[in-house]
Amino acid sequence: MNLDWSVIPENFWFLMDGAKLTLIIAIIAILFGFAGGILLGMARISKNRAVYGISTGYIEAFRGTPLLVQIFLIYFGLPSLGLQFTPLMAGILALSLNSAAYQAEIFRAGVQSIPKGQMEASRSMGMTYNQSMFHVIIPQALRNSMPTYTNEFITLIKDSSLVMAIGVLELTYSAKDVIADTFQPFVLYIFIAVVYFVMTFSTSRIMRFVERKFAIPGTMGGE
Amino acid sequence: MATPIIETKDLRMAFGDNEVLKGISMQVMPSQCVVVIGPSGSGKSTLLRCMNHLNEPTGGTILFEGHDIAAEDIDINLIRAQMIMVFQSFNLFMHLTAKKNISLALMKVKGVEQAEAEDMALKMLAKVGLSDKADAYPGQLSGGQQQRVAIARAMAMQPKALLFDEPTSALDPELIGEVLDVMKRLALEGMTMVVVTHEMGFAREMADHVIFMDQGVICEQGPPEEIFVNPKNERTKVFLKRILCQVDAMDPLKPNYEDTSLENGNGTCETAPVAEQSAKEVVKNDARTGLKRWFGLR
Ligand SMILES: Nc1ncnc2c1ncn2[C@@H]1O[C@H](COP(=O)(O)OP(=O)(O)OP(=O)(O)O)[C@@H](O)[C@H]1O
Ligand SMILES: [Mg+2]
Repeated sequence: MNLDWSVIPENFWFLMDGAKLTLIIAIIAILFGFAGGILLGMARISKNRAVYGISTGYIEAFRGTPLLVQIFLIYFGLPSLGLQFTPLMAGILALSLNSAAYQAEIFRAGVQSIPKGQMEASRSMGMTYNQSMFHVIIPQALRNSMPTYTNEFITLIKDSSLVMAIGVLELTYSAKDVIADTFQPFVLYIFIAVVYFVMTFSTSRIMRFVERKFAIPGTMGGE
Repeated sequence: MATPIIETKDLRMAFGDNEVLKGISMQVMPSQCVVVIGPSGSGKSTLLRCMNHLNEPTGGTILFEGHDIAAEDIDINLIRAQMIMVFQSFNLFMHLTAKKNISLALMKVKGVEQAEAEDMALKMLAKVGLSDKADAYPGQLSGGQQQRVAIARAMAMQPKALLFDEPTSALDPELIGEVLDVMKRLALEGMTMVVVTHEMGFAREMADHVIFMDQGVICEQGPPEEIFVNPKNERTKVFLKRILCQVDAMDPLKPNYEDTSLENGNGTCETAPVAEQSAKEVVKNDARTGLKRWFGLR
């Protein structure tokens, strides 16, 4: 076995461009997924049957089918309906839509973990449902859900590698490119594994920091 | 005669087949302190929650200053802001300081500016003796302090009535006094209040009118002297005896040997059969809805 580690410095910036793209995809998808997750999650606890039904259907569909199939469907399938995306856009869209489904359930669980007395106290003083949600329930729900959100963000960073299947030159695809030139799969896959780990580990550290910063004094986790 | 602040007419409330309020008609006049007593499960909380429209009654009407609160053209939020509930479990917003707990609704419901709302918050905290706790979070306060903040929060809205649902039941005995003191002060200041409580001392001292409820009906009502000294209804008698027996049993200074003699007394300390029955009801309901639930249907 001859491992040639010099291929890493030689292709470093090419690989870093891939890493950059991975980060961009992941961050955008996390943000869209977060916003979408809140909307879907609100819909999922709605008393309106149609709103509830549609959001539940959406979530079950996106959770119940492979992400790769969703990516293919959006990139290769939607053009037959006249919707054409670039690979990058299709990739980000698929990841966002998929993550929104998972984040909706995280959000819903967070909201339902808040004792119902909080909503009642707020309503009892004349605040509307939306005001109570926005000022009382959601701020507490998001805090409680932070560890689960961290999980989802990390999963999303790792799953972003799937968009290579439609030709997005992100980190994994870049590595594959280099391997085709250098025949050093072990070296390159070890290297990108480390790069992914750095990304996910930083994410969990950052989230931990945010969690501490927003911890409520006088509760577990707050001092 | 003045219009009652709150009036219920043949108020009915059922959870499924379980009829919890079976036609409650009562009045709360301005500046009156009405105390509602009754055994567990008799529907006291449900009555208050209906008044606040946290539960929607299945029958009858509730009038707030003569207006039907269920009417189409009434904004229930405006009614609620004038008739605020204080809960057994305090329900302070855990993520906000005492001060912010009080100012939030002032800003959102009444549109008061933040600075003014916070001034008001400090004033109200001073009133309940908690000026030094303005920046404390609920989790950093004792139960008694939390309940006093909750009362301050309700008072800050300058409501026309306050609804107390067993405000001291979740408190350690030594903390009950501080909360009752605040409530007494409010009553003396002429606040209109409906108080559900097991604190018979408070009821006797502060109530203008006492209502005894059992199994969803008002069994007896009248001035406290009449209810406590001279109850006419058999169920009222049994209830009062039992409550007093509990108070005695809790008294650490009471000699032990008296215990047995009291327990053997006629009709004291028996438990209501109602609780058991309603527990069975819940299990039955669960099985029926279980299958639908399983498929994610409502
Ligand atoms: N959300 C609900 N769904 C179904 N049944 C309910 C609900 N809330 C209350 N009940 C039932 O209504 C009855 C009356 O309850 P309520 O809480 O009003 O009693 P209470 O007089 O306040 O008792 P306590 O002194 O224990 O607080 C009980 O039998 C209870 O099981
Ligand atoms: Mg109750």
